[in-house]
Amino acid sequence: MNKPKLIRYIAFAGMAVLALACQDITDELVGKKPDDAQTIHITVVAKSASNPVFQSARIGAEAAAEDLSEKYSKIDVQIDWRTPKEEDPREQADRILNAVEDGTDAIMVSCSDDSTLTAAINQAVARGVPVMTFDSDAAGSNRFAFYGPNDAETGERVVHELAALLNGAGQIAILGGNKNAPNLQKRVEGALQAAAKYPGIEVVGPFYHVETAEAAISEMKRVQNQYPDLKGWAMMGGWPFFSETLLDEMSPGKLRIVAVDALPVQLVYIDRGIVDVFLGQPTYRWGEIPVQTIVKKLHLGEEVPEFYQMKLIRVWKDNLGGWARQLRAWGYSDVPVEYLSR
Amino acid sequence: MSEQKGLPNTPKDRLSMGQKFAYGLGSIVNNLLGGAIGFMSIVLNVGLGINPALVGTLQAIPRFTDALTDPVMGYISDKTRSRFGRRRPYIFVGAIGVGVVFALMWQLPPGNSEMFYFWFFLVGSIIFYMLYTVFATPWVALGYELTSDYHERTRLMGVMNFMGQFAWITLPWFYAIMENDRLFSDSVEGARTLAIIIGIFVAVVGIMPAIFLKERYVPTEDGGEEKVSLMEGLRTNVSLFAKGLVTTLKQREFLKLCAGTFFLFNGIMLVGAFSSYITIFYVSGGDTDMGAKYMGIFGTINTAATLVAIVVVTWLSSRLGKRLTFILATFVTLLGSLLKWFCYDPMVPWKVLLPAPLMAVGMGALFTLMGSMVADVCDMDELETGERREGMFGSIYWWMVKLGMALAFGLSGYLLNATGFDVEMGGAQTATTFFWMRIVDVVIPAIAAALAIWAVANFRITEEKSAEIREKLDERRLQAAAESVAL
Repeated sequence: MNKPKLIRYIAFAGMAVLALACQDITDELVGKKPDDAQTIHITVVAKSASNPVFQSARIGAEAAAEDLSEKYSKIDVQIDWRTPKEEDPREQADRILNAVEDGTDAIMVSCSDDSTLTAAINQAVARGVPVMTFDSDAAGSNRFAFYGPNDAETGERVVHELAALLNGAGQIAILGGNKNAPNLQKRVEGALQAAAKYPGIEVVGPFYHVETAEAAISEMKRVQNQYPDLKGWAMMGGWPFFSETLLDEMSPGKLRIVAVDALPVQLVYIDRGIVDVFLGQPTYRWGEIPVQTIVKKLHLGEEVPEFYQMKLIRVWKDNLGGWARQLRAWGYSDVPVEYLSR
Repeated sequence: MSEQKGLPNTPKDRLSMGQKFAYGLGSIVNNLLGGAIGFMSIVLNVGLGINPALVGTLQAIPRFTDALTDPVMGYISDKTRSRFGRRRPYIFVGAIGVGVVFALMWQLPPGNSEMFYFWFFLVGSIIFYMLYTVFATPWVALGYELTSDYHERTRLMGVMNFMGQFAWITLPWFYAIMENDRLFSDSVEGARTLAIIIGIFVAVVGIMPAIFLKERYVPTEDGGEEKVSLMEGLRTNVSLFAKGLVTTLKQREFLKLCAGTFFLFNGIMLVGAFSSYITIFYVSGGDTDMGAKYMGIFGTINTAATLVAIVVVTWLSSRLGKRLTFILATFVTLLGSLLKWFCYDPMVPWKVLLPAPLMAVGMGALFTLMGSMVADVCDMDELETGERREGMFGSIYWWMVKLGMALAFGLSGYLLNATGFDVEMGGAQTATTFFWMRIVDVVIPAIAAALAIWAVANFRITEEKSAEIREKLDERRLQAAAESVAL
C-alpha cells in the first residue's frame, strides 16, 4: 500500500473513532439512553399514601431512581407507586400480586401486617420478582433484604437518653403503643433491658394503647395520676404528640420525655420544652436505600446484606432548626416556617 | 520615568502573544499534573478498594520528597551551563518523562492485593513527582526571566494564569469521565485510558515552552573549573546549595511574597471543604442534590470570575502598580468572605452564590501578580548577590504553596470535627455546630486575607525601584562585557 493511501485510511479510521466518541458524548450530554438500555420497574407498596412519612419515602425512591438512571447509562429506573390510600394489608397484598402480573422487576414494601403479606411476598419471589422490605419487615418471608431500625436497640436508646436526663435515678414509665405490634414489642423489651442496668431507675409499665393521639394521651394521664412520683416517660412512639392537646396541659420540664419519631407536627413539643429528645427516623431513606439496593442486586449483580440498619437521628432543642430543614429537604410540606431559619 | 506607562522599555523586553501563549501552555500542563492525581485517586478507593487512609498516605508521602527535590532542582537548573540553556533541556525531558510515567502509573494490573497496589502506586508517585519537579521548576524559573520589564512580566503571568485555569475547569470532570459506563467498563479502566490521554497531552504540550521560547540569560559554559574528585564536588555543591537556600530565605522581599501567598491561598484552601458542607447541610437542609447544584453553579461563577479577574488585574496593575493591585484584589476577597455570613440563608438558598465572584478576585490576582513580583525580587537578588537564581526562588515559592496546601487539606478535617459536625446527622446538625462551621468559613479566609495584605503592604520593589535595579544591572552587565572583551 502506498503512503498517501495509508495516511488516508488512518485519517478515515481516526475520524470514524472520533465520530463514535462524539456520538457517545452528545448522548451523554443530552441524557439519551442507548437503544439496548434496560428499564427497571420498581413497585413501591408502602403502608398508606395519606401518611406523610411515606410521601417522604416516595420522594427518596424517585430521587434515587433518577440519580441511578443518570449514573448508569444502560438502565432507566422507574418507580411505580402502588401504595393504598389508607393502611390495609389485604390491599397491599393485592397490589403486590397485580404488580407481578404487570411485569414489575422488583418490589419494595412496608408491611402493615407481616402475616398477611408474607404469602404475597413469597408468591412474588416464586415468580422471580425480588422483594425488599423497609420500615416494617416480614421477617419470615422470602424477601431478600430489609431496611429499618433495630427495634431492641431503639428501645434501649430511648431509656439511655432518659436515664441521662434523670441522672440515673427516678421512676419512669414506658409507653408501648399497640401491644400486638412485633416491632413495638421488641422496643419495649430493649427498653426494659436497658432500664435494668440503672439501679436508681424504677420502671412502671409498659403501658399499651390504641395507636391514636387521643388514646395515648388518655393512657398517659391515667398513668400519671396513678404514679404521682413519676419522673419521666420512655415512649416507643410519638403518638401523644400528633395532636396539640398536650401543649396546654403539660408544663415544660415537669416530666422528662424521650420518644421515637420527630415529625413536623411534633416539633412544637421540643420547642416548648415539653419533650426533651425525639429520635427521628430518616423516612426519605426508606425509599432511597431500597431502590439503591435493588439496582445493586439486579443491575450490578452484587451480593447485598440482608439487613440494612436504619440509624435514628437525635432531635433536641439545639438541632431543631437543622432537623426542620432536613425534613423539608425530604419532602415534608408542613414543617413550621419559624423553625427553618434557626 | 520617561517611558510610557505600562509599555515595555525596549523591544527586547516585549514578548509576542505567541511567546506568552507558548509559556501559558506550560501552565496548563503544570496545573493538570498538579491536580490530576488528586482528582483521579478516588479510583484507588472506589475502583480498587484501597483503604482511604492508605490513599491519603499515598498522596502525602510524595509531598515530603517534594520538599527536598524542589529546591535541589531549582539549584541544579540555576547552575546548569549548556548550549541549550539552563531551563529548556529540563522542560523538554521533564515533560516527556512525566507524561510517560503518569500514563504508566495508572496501568494498575487487575486482581492484585491492596498492598500490591499501594506499593505500585507509591513508587510510581515518587518517580512521577520527581519528574514533575524536573519539568515544573525550570518552567517556573523560565517565566521569571523571559522579560525584565516590570509590566510585561505581569502580562506574561496574566496569560499564564488565564490559560492555566483551563486545567482547573477540566479536572473536576475526570471522575465523571472515568466512571462513565458508555466509555469504560469500570472506573479503573477509565483511569487507565484517561491517564494515557493525559500523558500524551503532557508530553506533547509540555515541550512547547522548550521549543518555542528562548532563554534570556544563558551563562556560558565554565571551562576554567578545576577537576575535582566526585566526593569533593558533591561536598562543594551541597555546601553551595545550603548557602543558596539560606540566602534565598534571607531575602526579605521574597519572604513577604511567600507570606502573602501562604496566608491568602491557604486561608481559602483551608475552608474550601467547609463551603461545600455548609451549602449542602445548612443552606440546602441536607438535600445533597440541591447542594450539589448550588456548588456547581458557584464553581462555574467562580471560574468565570477568576478569568475576568485575571484580565482586570493585569490591566489594573499597569495603572496602580503590583502591590496596590494585589492589596485591592485581596481586599475584595476579604469582603466576599465576610459577605458569606449574610448569604448563608436557608430561607433564600440562592444567596449562597453572591460571594462567588468576589472570592475569585483575590485568587485571580494572586498567581498573576506574585509570579511577576517574584521576578522583580530575582532582579534585586542579582544586584545583591551577583547571581540569577530564579530556579531557587521559584522552587521555594511553589514548595511553600504545595506544603501549605497539604497542611490545609490535612487541617480542614480536624477543623470540621472541632465544630462538632457529624455526618450521620445529615442536615440535623446542632445550631452550635452550624454557627462554628460558618464562623470558620467566614473568619479564617477574612483574617488570612487581612494578613496577606499586611505581609505585602511593605513590599519595597515599586515600578521606580525596579527600573533603578534594572539600570544598575544593565550597567554591571555592560561593564562585565567590556572587561571580558578587554581580557
